[in-house]
Amino acid sequence: MINRKSFIKQAAALTAGTLLPLHAGERLLHEFSGPKLTILYTNDTHARLDPFPENSRQFAGLGGIARRASLVKKVRAQEKHLLLLDAGDVFQGTPWFDVYGGKVDMKLMSEMKYDAMAIGNHEFDRGLDGFAEAAKKAGFPMLASNYITRNTPMNPFVRRQIIKEMEGFRVGIFGLGIQLHGVVERELFGNVRSQDPIAVSKRGVDSLRNFHDCDYVICLSHLGYRYENGQTDDITLAQSVEGIDLIIGGHTHTFLDEPVLVENPAGKQTIITQMGHSGVRVGRIDLNLTGSTENIPFESRFYLIDGKTGV
Amino acid sequence: MTIRRLLPGFLFILMLGGCAFFERTVPEKEPVFAYPAADSTMAAMLNSYRPAMERRMNRKIATVNDTIRFEKPEGALGNMVADALRDRAAHELRQFVHVGIIGESSFNLYFEPGDLTLGLIYEFMPYDNHLVVLTLTGEQLSELINQVAAIGGAPVSGVRFQIDEEDKARGILVNSQVLDPERKYRVATSSWTANGGDVFPALWEASDKKDVNISVRTVFADYFRIKSELFDLTDGRIRR
Repeated sequence: MINRKSFIKQAAALTAGTLLPLHAGERLLHEFSGPKLTILYTNDTHARLDPFPENSRQFAGLGGIARRASLVKKVRAQEKHLLLLDAGDVFQGTPWFDVYGGKVDMKLMSEMKYDAMAIGNHEFDRGLDGFAEAAKKAGFPMLASNYITRNTPMNPFVRRQIIKEMEGFRVGIFGLGIQLHGVVERELFGNVRSQDPIAVSKRGVDSLRNFHDCDYVICLSHLGYRYENGQTDDITLAQSVEGIDLIIGGHTHTFLDEPVLVENPAGKQTIITQMGHSGVRVGRIDLNLTGSTENIPFESRFYLIDGKTGV
Repeated sequence: MTIRRLLPGFLFILMLGGCAFFERTVPEKEPVFAYPAADSTMAAMLNSYRPAMERRMNRKIATVNDTIRFEKPEGALGNMVADALRDRAAHELRQFVHVGIIGESSFNLYFEPGDLTLGLIYEFMPYDNHLVVLTLTGEQLSELINQVAAIGGAPVSGVRFQIDEEDKARGILVNSQVLDPERKYRVATSSWTANGGDVFPALWEASDKKDVNISVRTVFADYFRIKSELFDLTDGRIRR
């Protein structure tokens, strides 16, 4: 369960920026005196390159990659240190995918300078060769530390983790994919094998923290936010593995208006967040890197991609 | 800090430059960061891929004559998709299929008057799930219909019933006959619905599951193509 006490304590420590409407948060974001890291993120964009059609049953007129790109450009101009991340399922969902198989998404995401994305279950929709064909267009790594891809067409494009360094501050980023059996059809995932995400994360985070000397660890997870049936989800992951600071989630298409804080086995907080789907929202987390790296203070907000609301 | 350090030099340059400096600071026609408007470079890149997409996707499938929606307890669009699944399953199996069902949450669009294109069908049903046929006992089918009643109605085909004030199904008819708890019924649905994607747990207990290996998108596209003219018509299969 989410530790209520820790949540409340932390909520009080956050500046009011989190709770204020989009415009009001702006001023507060610049009060940090030391270095700052900004993370922009998406998940489950599902080939939503154009905004939703006007006759959509939900989200009519929202989203669109050109608007998301415009937002990212604007924030890049304001922030020196920025990470742009995606938690998987870029494939499948609009006619763009039927015609281009994800290649256009990869090309445009590279243009936006994405730093990494997790591999979602829909990334297997055109088989491993289909994945490879699209991944060739990606100028950023695909992360899945719990998928064994040796001797498959997927292998050249998949990495367990990456490390980004900004003025000496080291950020480790690793990916987790959902178990393949029962979620992806057998002939689509071929010889790729999925391993237990918790065991893999324990080893991976330990290596990022102690061998690679990371100050901050981000997990791009396509496990899903929360299940009732005991299947491994982001909540379980946060409760079971110490050393993860931030889980950017996907798969369950969960719109979290505010991040959820979970106490991990080391007694520290792990932040869980997820931005629904189809890129109708872009999430933003700002880390204040002054002072100690123990429970780094952060601010969280999201942008509604409606073509009307400004930064 | 940086600005303060550079300011004296900046002022000096300003003096040298005189009025010319101000002329150059007139706002540019195109703002560099257009948010919340779309980024023009990205839009242009996307548009360069559009013609090939549209060539394939603008193919006309049918004419929509009314605004057609999913509705509660029943709507014309829900009726059509459930009929499409049941008809196609019967055609493929060359066997009578009693019932069709699918959750409306799988669908992204409602239809507006005009041309229904292949692209719109792909937007309408964004996922490539398969047509499957399940075998349920009469008892399980009755459970299923009550699960439909409990959510105020859902796209169904082959059954008629009334939802009472306690959200229970009354007077269930399957293919114009009283539901027989003892016999078996064939139920057409999508693989997503059958595997637990919708809110119909009765489907998960099916004794037999046949994957017909056709995409439900193909099923809907073919159904609408043959129907050709689409209207907002319901037949009272679910009543309040």
